[in-house]
Amino acid sequence: MDKIIFTGPVGAGKTTAIGSISETVPVGTDVNCTDESRAIKQKTTVAMDYSYITLEDGMRIHLYGTPGQERFNFMWDILTKGGIGLVILINRDNPSPIEQMDYYLDAFQSFISDTGVVIGITRSGLNDNASLENFQQRLLERNQVFPVFEIDARSSDDVSILIHALMAVLQV
Amino acid sequence: MELMAEIIGKLQNNNYIYDESVDSAITQALLLVLDDLMTKGDDINAAMICSVDGVPWASKIDDDFDQNRFAAMSGALLALSDNIADEAKKGETHNVLIEGANGNIFVLHAATNLLLTVFTMGNSNLGISLAFARQATETITALIENS
Repeated sequence: MDKIIFTGPVGAGKTTAIGSISETVPVGTDVNCTDESRAIKQKTTVAMDYSYITLEDGMRIHLYGTPGQERFNFMWDILTKGGIGLVILINRDNPSPIEQMDYYLDAFQSFISDTGVVIGITRSGLNDNASLENFQQRLLERNQVFPVFEIDARSSDDVSILIHALMAVLQV
Repeated sequence: MELMAEIIGKLQNNNYIYDESVDSAITQALLLVLDDLMTKGDDINAAMICSVDGVPWASKIDDDFDQNRFAAMSGALLALSDNIADEAKKGETHNVLIEGANGNIFVLHAATNLLLTVFTMGNSNLGISLAFARQATETITALIENS
């Protein structure tokens, strides 16, 4: 089974991205937020999102989304098992988006080195705490070369670009 | 009592957030429910109440264990169970049961946005422990809805 894992902080658009490209009704585990995330949104994923897509060559890709809060990091290990690649979504309107990218690159370092990663930059409002160049610059400082795209998680075309880029990275 | 009324109001409005100012009172009330559960259920050796999104509210668990991880895992497990029950058209989840070699674990909904996780010792009577756990969820719900 070929599966790709979507991860990133709360409010980055993981559930939305999987939903926008899904061929079927996604499996979601949204519950009411009672923690500080409630300032950002009312519902949050606590176990996983799941759906699948079929690529042009007939290859079926299973998509799994992780919860964002660090207390659910046990799900990160469970969901990455057997995965072929990682999509990190970062909302650049968040106060520290570059640090968030660092955090997820470090947290999934082992999985990334075994597979591959692409980074999708989303935004939810008018704040603009980092530009695409800032993310690319930070990757250079880390001596890492990963594709970075600015995407709208609601756009299936945008999410499709991320997945195709990841598949290209995995074939290199 | 005013503080308790405030807590109940927050819970009833279904928009509560774990609030340090009401921490002590709500925790005390929920700990009493857990004490009662563990007194009645001889086989029950640990229990906790947390929010459905995995934040611990009250726990009777040895310090050797990380209650924060148990809370998050309980939230994830119950949410996934709700989903599979719904997908299979089996209705609302009454409880999730893990039968381990050295004991059982139940996870049950309690009130709108809380859940109860109960740990039993090995060779325990599953039915009786589960019955006490269900009673406890009714107490939690009544505490929130009727006070």
